Amino acid sequence: MFFKPGLLENRLYLVVDDFGDMRSMMKNMLMACGVREIQLARNGNEAIELMEQERFDVVLCDYNLGAGRDGQQVLEEAKYRHLMGLGSVFVMVTAENTRDMVMGAVEYEPDSYLTKPFNKDFLKTRLEKLIAKKHDLLAIEEAVEKRNYTKAVAILDEKIAAKPANCNELRKIKGNILLNSGKLNEAKTLYQEVLAIRELPWARLGLGKCNYLAQDFQQAIDEFQRIKSQNPNYTPAYDWLARSHKRANQLSEAEDILKEAVSISPKAVPRQQLLGEIALVNQHQDIAESAFTKAVQHGRHSVYKHPANYANLARVTADNHDGPSALQVLKQIDKDFSKDPKADFYQASAESLIHEAMGNSDLARASLEKAAELQKSFDQIEDSECAIELAKTYKNFGMEEECVELMKGAILNNHTDEELMDEIKLTISSLEMDEQTLGTIDSIREEVFALNRKGVELAKSGQLDEAAELLKETSTRMPANRTVNLNIALVLLMSMEREGPSPGMIDEIKGYLARVAKADPNNTTLQKLYGRLKTMLSKTSDSSEQSREKT
Amino acid sequence: MNFADILASLIHDMKNSLGLVINTIDDLGEELQVHENPKLGTLQHEARRLNDNLIALLSLYKIDKGQLSTNIEEIDVEQFLYEISVDNQATANHLGITINYESEEGLVGYFDEWLMRGVINSLIGNGLRYSSSQILIHAASVDGYLVLSIDDDGDGFPQNMIDAQTAQQHKKPQQGETQLGHYFASLVAHMHSNGEREGYIKLANNQRLGGGCFSIWLP
Repeated sequence: MFFKPGLLENRLYLVVDDFGDMRSMMKNMLMACGVREIQLARNGNEAIELMEQERFDVVLCDYNLGAGRDGQQVLEEAKYRHLMGLGSVFVMVTAENTRDMVMGAVEYEPDSYLTKPFNKDFLKTRLEKLIAKKHDLLAIEEAVEKRNYTKAVAILDEKIAAKPANCNELRKIKGNILLNSGKLNEAKTLYQEVLAIRELPWARLGLGKCNYLAQDFQQAIDEFQRIKSQNPNYTPAYDWLARSHKRANQLSEAEDILKEAVSISPKAVPRQQLLGEIALVNQHQDIAESAFTKAVQHGRHSVYKHPANYANLARVTADNHDGPSALQVLKQIDKDFSKDPKADFYQASAESLIHEAMGNSDLARASLEKAAELQKSFDQIEDSECAIELAKTYKNFGMEEECVELMKGAILNNHTDEELMDEIKLTISSLEMDEQTLGTIDSIREEVFALNRKGVELAKSGQLDEAAELLKETSTRMPANRTVNLNIALVLLMSMEREGPSPGMIDEIKGYLARVAKADPNNTTLQKLYGRLKTMLSKTSDSSEQSREKT
Repeated sequence: MNFADILASLIHDMKNSLGLVINTIDDLGEELQVHENPKLGTLQHEARRLNDNLIALLSLYKIDKGQLSTNIEEIDVEQFLYEISVDNQATANHLGITINYESEEGLVGYFDEWLMRGVINSLIGNGLRYSSSQILIHAASVDGYLVLSIDDDGDGFPQNMIDAQTAQQHKKPQQGETQLGHYFASLVAHMHSNGEREGYIKLANNQRLGGGCFSIWLP
């Protein structure tokens, strides 16, 4: 047991609760534990403002905070925006009736739930344990933050080998790291080892994710289904089940699962968003309207707020009701987003269609132009979403050529992204377009594969300059394509390894790698190339120092 | 709104008030700086029992409506018992009773922490009424079950309660069991399963402290 004195005292605490009595009671309890630095917040907004100013070591946050953000949303925002340090502790305080509700939230979990009422001795014990645990895991978190997954796994293996009481907790962390770094086979083995001893939902979920990521959707569905039947309240299984059905092109199954999930836990914005999107494709306008309404409503104070939900809600409203109500929905974007070009884009894109349907042709054209201009200004590397949104709008205006152009660009830039390819196929079928008008998705993809293959073959046969030339030319047509960017970086690295480094080329390599890092920082090839670049640079700096010594 | 729902929502409200009452009594104890004060002990003890009963009532209501399912987690049992002993210590002290805990080192359990805490707190609440000076909560691994036991040094359970249980030990819990606390514990134990095996409860006398011993067996 951990009785080290001073574990609690010299730390900065934040207490968030909308009840004054509760705040002062918590403050008293903490002071009785010897804590001196305590700040209080009355609601989510105050909490976030304080967290922007200071790094708290411990946050005790009530789940129910009245109007505005709830505790889960405070946690999500704090984690998403990195408002808390790696070693800091977030405790969610709940009344027992919110327990099921908070169980639905999983992307960001608090370090602990604490059910009211509790006394100061209990609080002290719990906090001591949490702080000691965080301290123990700090080196792992730091390694993960620096994307040094090998190191993180090595530290974990060492700890697991000692067979501590929290062994499975360490295995759970390790499984997540393996999944995130693409080591699917190792992750699978780990989850199977855990499941051989005991059926645990998180391990089964991990196993399902391995199958999902390996594109074995039927097996993934089986695993997620098994969790769902054994633990009907474990909503993450529903989300993954729905995603798997979607990828397996079983859209009505996906919709049904999500409908069940939102009835258990309605506040998860991404869940409502996915339900809305799938219901739209299935042409269930009522379901879509209800889902997007909730996505907008619950998203307002959340990091998951997305203008696409407003645009979709507006379009569904126009279909189900009338134009003026739809425009009213879009007005809400002005209130909920400030100076966000993406929000302006979605607003303009949806507005153009609604105006057109209402017979306001001039207004429709003006909005469409605005949307097109904004989309052009966006970084293609980050953004295929807006390209597809605009393509849909073009199609609805009958502007086939512009629509095809955008779709083609999205495919060229992301030809290995299976999920996006599925999305594009869905879009094409929902727009009742002929895939042939694009020259078929597969033939476009094949063209990119062929160009990359040719570049790599040239490089292998030693024709590095020719390879670089071909790939760079390809890159001008598809600047965001990861494979192309990685191959250019590789070829340039090879030529520097052969001919010696040049500062211009180093910058060039860094530029191409940065494009990939922006969209896919965990990409394993990217990490390898960064490593190779670093090794080469350190070698050359050694040799230049040596040569300086000689002179 | 039907009566059951009104009741459930009122219980939530009562729980909030009780929470404040319990914490204020704790504060009062701190301010008075006494470690043994039977009147304070009774206040605290009864307020906590009210709270435990409300938790049991709410959970039973949810089980009845099919809204409660277990959230099985991997629990460090020693830490779990330590927290429970700490939580109940001040109240017990005022009543002149000490609470100790014992656990095999590194023992891991798979159960719903919140539900089991409710069950054990309510059993300790019972124990405080019947024991004369000590309560021991302890955990062990027996035949693939995690056994959580609450022993006291009182007079033990009446023989008819001990006899009655052998017949129905592995059966589903029946309403009308002698005490709400036991019924709740039994229901919660049965909600914990591993493969084919389900959890159950067991009453015995003359175990570790000579008095009653209530144990919960979780697969």
